[in-house]
Amino acid sequence: MGGLAEPFEFEFFVRGMVAATLVGVLCAAVGVYVVLRTLAYIGHGLAHSIFGGAVVSFVSGISFYIGATIWGVFTVLLINAAARRRQIGGDAAVGIITTCAFALGVALISRHGKFTRDFDAALFGEILGITSGDLYVIAGVLVLAAAVIFAWWKQLLFTTFDSDVASTYGVPVPWVEALFSLVLAATVIASLQVLGATLIAAALVIPPVTARLLTDSFTRMFALAAALGGASGLVGVYISWFVNVSSGATVVLLQGALFVMALGWAVARSRWPGTGSGERLAAIEGAQLD
Amino acid sequence: MVELAPGAPGHRPPPHPEGEPLVELQSLTTGYERTPVLRGVDFTLRRGEFAGIVGPSGSGKTTLLRSIAGQTRRFEGAVEMHPRQGERELRLGYVPQVEAINWNFPLTVGQAVLLGRWREMGWRPWPRRRDQELLMHILERLGIGHLANRQIRALSGGQQQRTFLARALIGDPDLLLLDEPTSGVDIKTRHEIMHLLGELNRGGTSILMTTHDLNAVATHLPRLVCVGEGAIVADGAPEDVLTPEVLRRTYGADMLVLRRGDAIYVVEHLDEAMTGPEGAPEGATPGTSAPGG
Repeated sequence: MGGLAEPFEFEFFVRGMVAATLVGVLCAAVGVYVVLRTLAYIGHGLAHSIFGGAVVSFVSGISFYIGATIWGVFTVLLINAAARRRQIGGDAAVGIITTCAFALGVALISRHGKFTRDFDAALFGEILGITSGDLYVIAGVLVLAAAVIFAWWKQLLFTTFDSDVASTYGVPVPWVEALFSLVLAATVIASLQVLGATLIAAALVIPPVTARLLTDSFTRMFALAAALGGASGLVGVYISWFVNVSSGATVVLLQGALFVMALGWAVARSRWPGTGSGERLAAIEGAQLD
Repeated sequence: MVELAPGAPGHRPPPHPEGEPLVELQSLTTGYERTPVLRGVDFTLRRGEFAGIVGPSGSGKTTLLRSIAGQTRRFEGAVEMHPRQGERELRLGYVPQVEAINWNFPLTVGQAVLLGRWREMGWRPWPRRRDQELLMHILERLGIGHLANRQIRALSGGQQQRTFLARALIGDPDLLLLDEPTSGVDIKTRHEIMHLLGELNRGGTSILMTTHDLNAVATHLPRLVCVGEGAIVADGAPEDVLTPEVLRRTYGADMLVLRRGDAIYVVEHLDEAMTGPEGAPEGATPGTSAPGG
């Protein structure tokens, strides 16, 4: 039994577990809006872009958080501006801007001549290298995101569902979108150290999609996604101690396993008459035949 | 013999030509991004009116509706709104086309309808008791009270229309804007929706809707606005607007207009009508109105 409690003897490990749990909740909660707006690609792109910001911060000798925040906000505003042009489209705008920002980071690294441990962490995450300062930043961003989501719950939901109609009903859509973009950028920055640029997209997307398979209610989807994100962060890091695999990768693989289970459950229920999903499908079919 | 649509002139709510202006479009040129769709449009809707916008696909009828809803870019001209006394803005209720709605979104009927009341609900994410009571009152009034917890995709076409009509009504609108509310529904549902809209209008709600259905919907409305190639071609009562000349200018095709009493029937496929076993209906020739009988 002592073996199972062994990781808790190390402060850095406990810190890593707390960080992974908070990041899991944060990414999943913000990810609900990302997934429902079919912007999964933006999370992926933004993480890569902010990697570029991390490199620029390092090379210019300024704090990672300050540099990455400026870089992230700039990138998000640029994506928003480019995506408004119908000839470009949101996905292409993300593709162009974020890969260029990432490429700039790579170019600076090759020019700098050294691929340091910091860059390694920014790419793949290093949960066990989390400092108390990192933990405060993560907790701060979580509180900020929770406050924005709580205070602007209805506006965010309406804008996510149908932004055109939301503006007709008086929702200040450009402000809601800008505020959400900033929360998303802050989420990616705070999560970079834990999951790395390459894995953040998974933490943003998998728990919300898993939750969507399990419920048809927005409120329940949100709560379920946050719970799945947090639980997979906590359990994933704990398992990683024993299997001796990268913590970030373990968290994401655990989320992937939960998704497969939810998918299997949803498929089985839809084929099993009389169960919840079966009734839902029958209702849909009945309604369409109405 | 061409069957006339079951015209119901007695069912038409009276027009309100003397009402105060509610919305005024003044020399409005509007569209999307850098492309104007409507050019130099003048249009006034008065309080208590029930008007329909007709026209071919791409003519700008949805753009006309959306320009009032504030969803288009204004290049020139003005959109003047006249809110209630003591209110800063006109209250709009907007019902989008069913094709424009993301039906896979995880929203229940109750959640979707309450979005229309987001301002009145205060700062809390969850509805208060009086919001819930109002929600149930509106849903019951529209006959979908039992569907409050059903996901929006698991509804029939008529129930879906009623859900988004409920979202528009829960905000107590001065003006109801509906984009093709009878599109994709069966005859019975279409009849029910039109009956419901007529009832709302008689209760004082001003209504502006687009429709592509000339015979079953447009001819029964008190006022019609014909939109063709980005401009208003004609505007007035159906009996004044639905003439072969206006229809040719609006749709770019010859159509036959048959009249029987106050009932109007537009034959959209002239060739088929003319090549039937009985040939041209008596008193009707291509490009002319048949006299009332």
